[in-house]
Amino acid sequence: MSPTHILLQQIVNGLSLGAIYALLALGFTLVYGILELINFAHFSVFVVGAMAGLLVLQAFGLQGQSVILHGAPLVLVLLAALVAAMLACGLLGVLIERYTLRPLRAVTGPMAMITTIGVSYILVNLVLLLTRAQSLNYPDPLPAMTATFGGVTVSGKAVMIWIVAAILMIALDRFVRRTRLGQAMRAVAQDQEAARMMGVDVDRVILVTFFVASALAGAAGMIFGLYYNFADYNIGYTAGLMAFTAAVLGGIGNIPGAMLGGVIIGLIDTLGSQYIAAKWADVIVFSILIGTLVFRPAGLLGALAPNRS
Amino acid sequence: MRGSYSFPIGPERDGGVAMSYRLDRAARCGEDAGRPRVDALIGRRPGMKEISQMHLSRRHMLGGLGAAAGFMALGGAALAAGKTYRIGVTLPLTGADAEPAHLILNGILLAIDQANKAGALPGITLEAMVLNNATTTAGEYDPAQAATNARKLVGDPGVLVNIGPEMSGSGKAMAPILSMGMLATITPSSTSPSITDPAFAAEFDPGGKPIYFRTVTTDAYQGPDMANFYAETLRVPSSYILDDSGAYGVGLADAFEKQAKAKGITVLGRDRLDPRADDYTAVVTKIEASGAASLYFGGGMQAAVKLVKQCHDIVPKIVKGGGDGILSPEMVTAAGFPAAEGWYVTSASPHLAGTPALQKWSDLYTRTYGVQPSDYSVTAYDATLVAIAAIQSVTKAGKPLTAANVRDAIQASKVEGLQGTIVFDRNGDLAQHMVTVFQFAYDPKYRATDFPHQYRYVSVAPQN
Repeated sequence: MSPTHILLQQIVNGLSLGAIYALLALGFTLVYGILELINFAHFSVFVVGAMAGLLVLQAFGLQGQSVILHGAPLVLVLLAALVAAMLACGLLGVLIERYTLRPLRAVTGPMAMITTIGVSYILVNLVLLLTRAQSLNYPDPLPAMTATFGGVTVSGKAVMIWIVAAILMIALDRFVRRTRLGQAMRAVAQDQEAARMMGVDVDRVILVTFFVASALAGAAGMIFGLYYNFADYNIGYTAGLMAFTAAVLGGIGNIPGAMLGGVIIGLIDTLGSQYIAAKWADVIVFSILIGTLVFRPAGLLGALAPNRS
Repeated sequence: MRGSYSFPIGPERDGGVAMSYRLDRAARCGEDAGRPRVDALIGRRPGMKEISQMHLSRRHMLGGLGAAAGFMALGGAALAAGKTYRIGVTLPLTGADAEPAHLILNGILLAIDQANKAGALPGITLEAMVLNNATTTAGEYDPAQAATNARKLVGDPGVLVNIGPEMSGSGKAMAPILSMGMLATITPSSTSPSITDPAFAAEFDPGGKPIYFRTVTTDAYQGPDMANFYAETLRVPSSYILDDSGAYGVGLADAFEKQAKAKGITVLGRDRLDPRADDYTAVVTKIEASGAASLYFGGGMQAAVKLVKQCHDIVPKIVKGGGDGILSPEMVTAAGFPAAEGWYVTSASPHLAGTPALQKWSDLYTRTYGVQPSDYSVTAYDATLVAIAAIQSVTKAGKPLTAANVRDAIQASKVEGLQGTIVFDRNGDLAQHMVTVFQFAYDPKYRATDFPHQYRYVSVAPQN
């Protein structure tokens, strides 16, 4: 492999990783934008998404590395699993908001954030118990398609990740910018009190935000499983931390920032592994994060949160 | 933070004492046939009770004593009766290492149960005090939890000896505490050489007498012997070496690297994986770009599940191998075929489990626990035999039954185990050191996830 090939190959690797981080980062950013709350339960909603997708795939008889479906049925099954994972996680997000966070809405300080840490541990431990702490062999129902462009290998799975991530991100952007509900979300993000006085049902907007953010985490969990063909109760840890970093890097509360941050972190991770060493990858990622926060406290695309006094 | 946020499931939740259970009950449970395999492998096994049942068995243990009085006198009461002593068992029973840990646990329970039934120690009942070395936070064995468990063991005068840990990372955390408490441990599988190396005595053996005994050999043989196998048997010209950042993995990879270089293998790179990261494609792409003819991985299953899959996608053709950390059922259940196909792995013990030489024992094990034993089930059984023999010799000599006296007896052991005569050198290491090479190879006659049938014996690794 020539140096150019290596670079391009690592960029391809980094883009797939970045797409998963970006989807997950969007959830952090959406919730933070509305509530100024860092939702650590997001880590484990991602894990639940991977498991929910797995259950649906298994229900259709997809197991291990056997390719038993082709063409339209395969696409339909994958879509069904994706939708199921998103719905399950969306509902889970709604439940988390309604029963653990809403009662704390009036409480200032870090209580809500700590509650999300607690919820996160409960969910992860439930998954741990249900999976008996085993790593699971996620089905690999896609035929092993790879295309080689001038020495750079792109797998079908990578292309699938890019397409799904791009569709979801565009849909989210449209939703927030173009719909009434999206407008309400932006209003609540800007000034909750004023939005309430203008007749916006703030509680409903917050529920919708949790639904959307958690559904995106569910989608990320499902495509994570399909891409790496593996899932366990612990997958949310690194992916969640990286995605959170991506959200902060891009400017927490800023939707395009989360996407950009995810892709950048994915690229830093792979290029750092190639040109320095994998053992330094985390050090590099977090050094860049700290550097960004020192010199651009609001992140790459973020504006500092509006003054709500 | 590590460990402090854990939500332990299983044994340590009720504290060590409450978890002690009678092993004669264990064996009776084991006789109920038709138990699903997986059930027996994880969690609900003979001898391991649900938490609610645990209290029943504790009450049972205390006989007619009132529950309240029994609670206050726990530990002390059992001792005062002069009948019940405990053998500590510290293993990572949840997380990435859970499956091999349970195969080891079964071997220990079997030996204790047989000793109790045979009345090997007249007037004394032995109990296993099972402590989990793994936490949710770590996702696998957690040295901080292992240290906590070691303190629990040392603080309990009813504990005479410990069996475990499985992993050297835990062993390094436990050794200094056990050493100060003069409580011996016999490990059936922890292979990092430095723990028993006198050069590190200040770190791991501050008490002055060896307390860390093994019924396996060490990575000082496992890594280099595999390098010999790569060089002499497989004749690979070059290698890329990875580890998983743990004490076990780093030590194993270091030992492999040194011998590989001595044998003329060109080492094209050495890197370290974060076992909790999920994406190793960048590292594996780098290995591909380096043109290495082989990969050696020192580490456990948490990293290996992902590494094995991603290697299959990116570098399917090169020679790949690792140590005993990846001779685990998860290679076939989680990594799975075809990804696992062709991986060479070693075991720091002779190959005995399931061989004709050990047919009777293997059958008994399988009948009792519903799973087939691993080679480390054998070494665990042997470790427990050594421990029981040591307790026996202390009582025969008429000395007080203390952990320190049992330690002295272990040091002087000469016990006929399943693997032959077990004798320790003065550092606590096994006198013989044999490393066995296996290879994962799909056998369509069996289910792809049927671990014992999906890897094959290759040879004894060349020594020198």
